[in-house]
Amino acid sequence: MKTNQKILLQFGICIFLFILIGILINNLTINLLRTGLGFNFSWLFKPASFALAEHPLPYTSSDSYAWALFIGWLNSLKVIVSSLILATFLGTLIGFARTGKNSLLGLISAGYITVIRQTPLLLQLMFWYFVGFLGLKDNMFIQIKNIFNLSNQGIEFSGLTFSSEFLALLIGLSIFTSAYIAEVIRGGILSVPRGQWEAFRSLGLSESKGLIRIIIPQALPAIIPGLTSQYLNLAKNSTLAIAVGYSDIYAINDTITNQTGRAIECFIILLFSFLLLNLLITNTMEIINRLILKSQKYS
Amino acid sequence: MFNININSIIICFKHLRKTLFSNLFNTVITFLIILFIGVACFYTFEWLIFKANWKAVISNLPLYAFGSFPPKEQWRPAIWIISLLLLSIFTLCGPDWKWLRKNLPIAWVGSIPLGLYLLYGGLGLSPIMSRHWGGLTLTILLTVCSSLLSLPLGIVLALCRQSSLPLIKKLSSIYIDVMRAIPLIAVLFFGQLLIPLFLPVGIEIDRVWRAIFAFTLFVSAYIAEDIRGGLQSIPYTQTEAANSLGLNQYQIIQLILIPQALRIALPALTNQFIGLFQNTSLMAILGLVELLGVGRSILANPEFIGQYIEVYVWLASVYWMVCTIMAVLARHLEQRMTINQANF
Amino acid sequence: MEPIVIAKNLTKSYTKGLRALDNVSLTVDQGKVLVVMGPSGSGKSTLIRTFNGLETFDKGELDILGIKVDSSHDERKIQKIRRRVGMVFQQFNLFPHLSILENITLAPVHVQKRRQIEAEEYGMYLLSQMGIDSHAKKYPSQLSGGEQQRVAIARALALKPELLLFDEPTSALDPERINEVLDEMRRLAEQGMTMVVVTHEIGFAKDVSDQVLFMDSGKVIETSPPNIFFSNARHERSRKFLNQLDKHK
Repeated sequence: MKTNQKILLQFGICIFLFILIGILINNLTINLLRTGLGFNFSWLFKPASFALAEHPLPYTSSDSYAWALFIGWLNSLKVIVSSLILATFLGTLIGFARTGKNSLLGLISAGYITVIRQTPLLLQLMFWYFVGFLGLKDNMFIQIKNIFNLSNQGIEFSGLTFSSEFLALLIGLSIFTSAYIAEVIRGGILSVPRGQWEAFRSLGLSESKGLIRIIIPQALPAIIPGLTSQYLNLAKNSTLAIAVGYSDIYAINDTITNQTGRAIECFIILLFSFLLLNLLITNTMEIINRLILKSQKYS
Repeated sequence: MFNININSIIICFKHLRKTLFSNLFNTVITFLIILFIGVACFYTFEWLIFKANWKAVISNLPLYAFGSFPPKEQWRPAIWIISLLLLSIFTLCGPDWKWLRKNLPIAWVGSIPLGLYLLYGGLGLSPIMSRHWGGLTLTILLTVCSSLLSLPLGIVLALCRQSSLPLIKKLSSIYIDVMRAIPLIAVLFFGQLLIPLFLPVGIEIDRVWRAIFAFTLFVSAYIAEDIRGGLQSIPYTQTEAANSLGLNQYQIIQLILIPQALRIALPALTNQFIGLFQNTSLMAILGLVELLGVGRSILANPEFIGQYIEVYVWLASVYWMVCTIMAVLARHLEQRMTINQANF
Repeated sequence: MEPIVIAKNLTKSYTKGLRALDNVSLTVDQGKVLVVMGPSGSGKSTLIRTFNGLETFDKGELDILGIKVDSSHDERKIQKIRRRVGMVFQQFNLFPHLSILENITLAPVHVQKRRQIEAEEYGMYLLSQMGIDSHAKKYPSQLSGGEQQRVAIARALALKPELLLFDEPTSALDPERINEVLDEMRRLAEQGMTMVVVTHEIGFAKDVSDQVLFMDSGKVIETSPPNIFFSNARHERSRKFLNQLDKHK
């Protein structure tokens, strides 16, 4: 295609999009006028007047919507970071079991992966919440020397309390994500040429030492990008918190939308909260990736 | 015959000894695992057969399948689901006749209008509103319609992102990246609220179609990335060869690039569609009574209160079954393609 | 005798100073075979790829089958040329997702808008001429390199071209497979097909070609009939090249 044709085509598409967006915005303003809402963000500073069960920073129902949203964002961050660590740990174990020599372990981990991956996350979360925690009878709780308390209210561990909502979400997300991480780890290990295994065995290194010193360093460059995308999925999946009643950023957005009816503003806020979360995750992983490459001094 | 069997058993034992009992540590681990599996199996079967109360499942089977579809008309969704099942069986184990194989894709695509006709009614069938749809029928309908709509949209988006026109490239990149950055539940929730806001006054779309559109917008961004991966892995010499034969740009895209990209992206696309099927469960918390929604409403019924485990185990096995069927169908398709085109 | 290809002062430079083509001029008459030889990187591939518009050039004029193209690279004219010129590549470049017969009928059906049945009949005729009609329903990856290259020739012939371009057609083949492709090309030359062939095959050039064009660093060093080129090349550079080729044999 010639350059002037290209410019003409793009110009045409521009006009088409302008007309389309114009029609959409026109419809939107008509609809907003009908409901008498308009489009602004000043409501953010009015009192939220709803209570939050969980808040890492002080919060009362007379605080503003903006503060409530920030608390929600922190709650999201809390559950994402903790399940990220737990899921990575679990996933690595299962990934190794899947690739290891012990075929029984391999079979069990393969079964674990298919069961977890072939059922919806939402169902799993509800299972952990309604069966795992609320299923505990009121009078039933496990207590170990006043340090560790488990009841349907959650867990109390040497002064720290974790609500059952948070824990159900943590367990559900970690187990779900670990199945995916296990596959990433397995893919990474399989990407190392077979010759490397034979080489370290022929040098007399033990299996575990060879795995840690020889195989994993070479598998890491293949694992890191896969891990990053699983972490991003984890962050997005954490919004299912609303199903177990944990007040994360999406749940609070949902409440505010229902309370104020400001769907468009809330959508924009949610979009930016998530862009921020994604940036946080990708940048951290980028730094980790660079550190690994630097320490390996090759490629 | 008998000899071969004994030999293979011996080989099998040797292999087991090598992998499971190579040293003391491995032997201990193996015995612990066997013990664990044994105990777990014992308790699971004990629970399944003696302890579990399956009333909440057995007495509500039609509800799981069809939701609140009027009982007199439930043969309609039943026919649809059975025909889909038959089509799956036929695709997998049917005879290898050429005309049959050629017409199977048409049958698959045709099953969607058939399903919509059977559900909506009209033309001789009594019309039924979409709010009466539910259960597995609705889950499958959401999956099938969204997949069918999102595939072409995803292809177009992928082509736009590869385009040499900077404006088109930029716009589709923004769309894809933004869609992939936000959680699905937000797309679905705000889709329910925002789609009516952007439509002219007087035009309304029902909940089911709003959900389908939201799913389509979301999934197409992911499909676009998978197909772009496929497009990028096609060597440029393919385009050159097509050029030298005198094919024009659109013919090259349609006849050379898209078929190859789809073939390469097939495993990734399968995962997207299986993911989509599982994610239709999110509509349970957004007001549709699909499979998980039916489970929730049954658990809210005082008659079945507290029977969480039974209902969840049942739902999980239904989801698991359908996912497995989808995966097997996709693998079958993949194999048919590789038999034809070894070392693609 | 009517000229099929006329190139005048073709020049193409990649970056400043480095020239892929440097003032290349040549003529190919109808029914003649031109063999282009030269060391790798000498611009011989670039040269024949300009003939059907796969490569652009910066200066000069090109006249293919009476269609004149210049550096503006008019898309419509190039499309016209491509419909009448066939090309065979080093790496075959068959379409892996189409069967052998579909590979051959693709362009006749979609470019020349011929009927499917008619195109298939002609495709089967071409395949049987090459003795590979039993493979018609197979896919490219099921064939050997030599068979794939013959399919590629049939694919180019299906458009009934007036000029065939070969870009090192035997370089990617196993040595024992080279002859089955060269024999096909010999047969085409005997039938009077106009061909431009980039190749290192001295035997083929000696037997079949009417002219040998020797290139180095984008320039045409000499154009001679094969009997002169191979026994008594005019230029020092050509003799050196031929010596090296002989040593490798």
